[in-house]
Amino acid sequence: MRHLTLASVLLTSMAVTTPAIADGHLMIVDEPLELTIHMHHKRYPSYNEDWPVEQEARRLTNIHLKNATVGSNTDNSGEAINLLLASGKLPDIIGTSRIKDVVNQYGPQGAFMPLNDLIEEHAPHLKAFFEKRPDIKAAISAADGNMYYIPYLPDGKYGRAYFIRYDWLDKLGLDLPQNVDEVKAVLEAFRDGDPNGNGLKDEVPYFARQWEELIRLVTLWDGRSSGSDTYHDFYVDSGQIKHPYAGEGYRDGIKNLTEWYAEGLIDPEVFTRGSSAREYLLSENLGGMTHDWFASTSGYNRLSSEIGGFVFKAFAPPASISGKRIEEHRRIPIKPDGWAIGGTNKHPVETIKYFDFWFSPEGRNIVNFGVEGVHWTMEDGKAIFTDAILGTGRPVNSQLYELGAQLHARGYFQDYGYEIQWSNEFALEGIALYDEGDYLIDQFLGVAFNKDEQAVYDKYWPSVRTYMLERQQAWILGTGDVEADWDAYMADLDKMGLNDVLAAMQSAYNRQYGG
Amino acid sequence: MTDLPASSAGSTTGVGETATHAAAKPMRERLVWLIDHFKREWQIYVMLAPMIIWFLLFLYKPMYGLQIAFKDYSIFWGIVESPWVGWEHFETLFNNSQFIRAVKNTVIISALSLIFGFPVPIILALMFNEILHALYRRTCQTIVYLPHFISTVIIAGIVITAFSPSAGIVNTFIGWIGIEPVYFLTKPEWFRPIFIGSGIWQEAGFSSIIFLAAIAGVNPSLYESAVVDGASRWQMMWKITIPSIMPTIIIMLIIRIGNLMEVGFELIILLYQPATYQTADVINTFIYRQGLQSGQYDLAAAAGLFNAVVAFVLVMTANSISKRVSRTSLW
Repeated sequence: MRHLTLASVLLTSMAVTTPAIADGHLMIVDEPLELTIHMHHKRYPSYNEDWPVEQEARRLTNIHLKNATVGSNTDNSGEAINLLLASGKLPDIIGTSRIKDVVNQYGPQGAFMPLNDLIEEHAPHLKAFFEKRPDIKAAISAADGNMYYIPYLPDGKYGRAYFIRYDWLDKLGLDLPQNVDEVKAVLEAFRDGDPNGNGLKDEVPYFARQWEELIRLVTLWDGRSSGSDTYHDFYVDSGQIKHPYAGEGYRDGIKNLTEWYAEGLIDPEVFTRGSSAREYLLSENLGGMTHDWFASTSGYNRLSSEIGGFVFKAFAPPASISGKRIEEHRRIPIKPDGWAIGGTNKHPVETIKYFDFWFSPEGRNIVNFGVEGVHWTMEDGKAIFTDAILGTGRPVNSQLYELGAQLHARGYFQDYGYEIQWSNEFALEGIALYDEGDYLIDQFLGVAFNKDEQAVYDKYWPSVRTYMLERQQAWILGTGDVEADWDAYMADLDKMGLNDVLAAMQSAYNRQYGG
Repeated sequence: MTDLPASSAGSTTGVGETATHAAAKPMRERLVWLIDHFKREWQIYVMLAPMIIWFLLFLYKPMYGLQIAFKDYSIFWGIVESPWVGWEHFETLFNNSQFIRAVKNTVIISALSLIFGFPVPIILALMFNEILHALYRRTCQTIVYLPHFISTVIIAGIVITAFSPSAGIVNTFIGWIGIEPVYFLTKPEWFRPIFIGSGIWQEAGFSSIIFLAAIAGVNPSLYESAVVDGASRWQMMWKITIPSIMPTIIIMLIIRIGNLMEVGFELIILLYQPATYQTADVINTFIYRQGLQSGQYDLAAAAGLFNAVVAFVLVMTANSISKRVSRTSLW
């Protein structure tokens, strides 16, 4: 440890003299300028001036942020920002998770500053970025056409994938399932063939940490379960907003999943087992197949030291009944998290320049990797972590949060290079497989409502959604028959206002994405 | 506003007299009396002050915010600046079949837990009272008090595990008598028994304390003379103990009726599933989903106001019935 500290000190002193960064071309103001900030995220409920990343940014830009976070005692960012708004006094910068709806609702009322002109005139890097990605610009714009926040933009496409016990397949003499019928055959073999060899019929063929991942399987019957990385979300089908739970593929999928559930191919406790399902079923050598995140799920291969032969790897999405292979889940390119300028900020130009700093090549490296020379060094034009990060044996992302890097309550563009350096080999292998097959589909990036559309959505949607989920679970559990109930179900949805909600979304969508 | 802080719930006489007496005197005399009174009794008022301040700050001041139930509320504009919309939020609520269902479920769950849950602590208290061995009694009491101190989240975990179809103790038992495992927590018809049962299990012991205290306050000479007259323990319970603690029972019942609309919704949120909304969704969980999760504070306030008005009517009704029938009441 002492050795490491000494090394860091030496490296820091080197970094100070690195000419590329120290020539002052990133300076925003000549005299240090203080701005106040509200920064809230459940992992870091207030802003910390001592984060090394912040000190570096201060040194380079001369902008000095002061903590003015409200509601640091809660881990609910929504509560915190509501408290802040209700207090009536907004700081210069407001950064939080789930900022999008807040700024789109209260920005037009004057709580936040519109950013379009500021970006046009003072923020070359942001301007260049939005020129390259007009879809993202459209997605973050409010109903009045203005942008009120700079989002956190995740990099890397892959999120969840189909995972299966390769060693169980080998043991039972089966190949990787290539289509929906083969998936069923494999799950039946897992149920009946005693692949864990304990003589008991205790295997759980398909399991999921979130029961919504069971519904995800309707994609195997050409249905949809969600249009984005949020469950039960709307999706876009050639310019038309639709809801997945009102489609025929969904009906067929639910019909078949009900059979699978009744036949014991799906975890009987899928609705109540909850977040520990994966940990429990894998470490007890019971679970066969799931649909879950690449990185964390691949990590379970460490169990091979306890369970002989354990291999739990991703496999390509099986072909649906019409022969399509899709992976419905992906990382969304834009998150509703980020930061905005308070409506009473006296230095909007300096603030937007400060926001722009994080989109400059230098700023982007700092926010992604930490301080150059201490936490990373440049090799062949790429930022590579030093031993100060990789040598500790602790998860890299939590180390970065402690430095003030990769904070999602800030608007920045993530660099996937940060994650690939410490990803598990099984995860990288799976990602390569999915990359090769190009299974991902486009995501619905959300809409910004005007006042009337918002009123329609608020009035009808929560009840419609509740009703959809009630029926969905009831069908899977065998109460009622989805085919017999379908017409009545669609009529109920119409009566409860689904079509009004869809019309409101469509009008917002057309305005926003020029459909 | 208040008379005496410790005026025990249930006293019906005495308070009004001094007030009328004082009012009859001339102004000056009354002032002198008041100053005298404060000089003499100031310690009592100091002791009372924290409670009054607490009431004003946390119960009366928030009532000011209730007006957002009639407004199109924007957090940024604040309570005063938001425009009025009249009864719009109430219309939205009563046109929503899920809200009507939630009201129905609230009443049913509350009424059932009142019917099945209210007698249990009284019976427990009577049973404890009959245990003569002191150490044994204290051990039993500790065991039934314990669940009260467990957090709701853990209670929910225990319930989910106990009723799990694969590893749960309940399904293991019914498996022995040859019944197929039941996935209780997704069956609408099982939700209420499980919820009410776990509520009784958690709170019955602790609620029995107040009845035990009432029993301890019964004059022992009543029992002594009963023993001399040759009464059995059973007779003493029916003829002495229960009539003596009746005022306490009635006061507790009125309070429970006042809380009829307040179902412990934390446990419901932890236990319910879309599959069981049909029987499990109550007003508070509806408010949580519709109002708070989607940020419609004005609508949530309207639902909450409706809830409070119904609860107020219930407690007034219960109070006046009790006053007429048993001459025991809160006011």
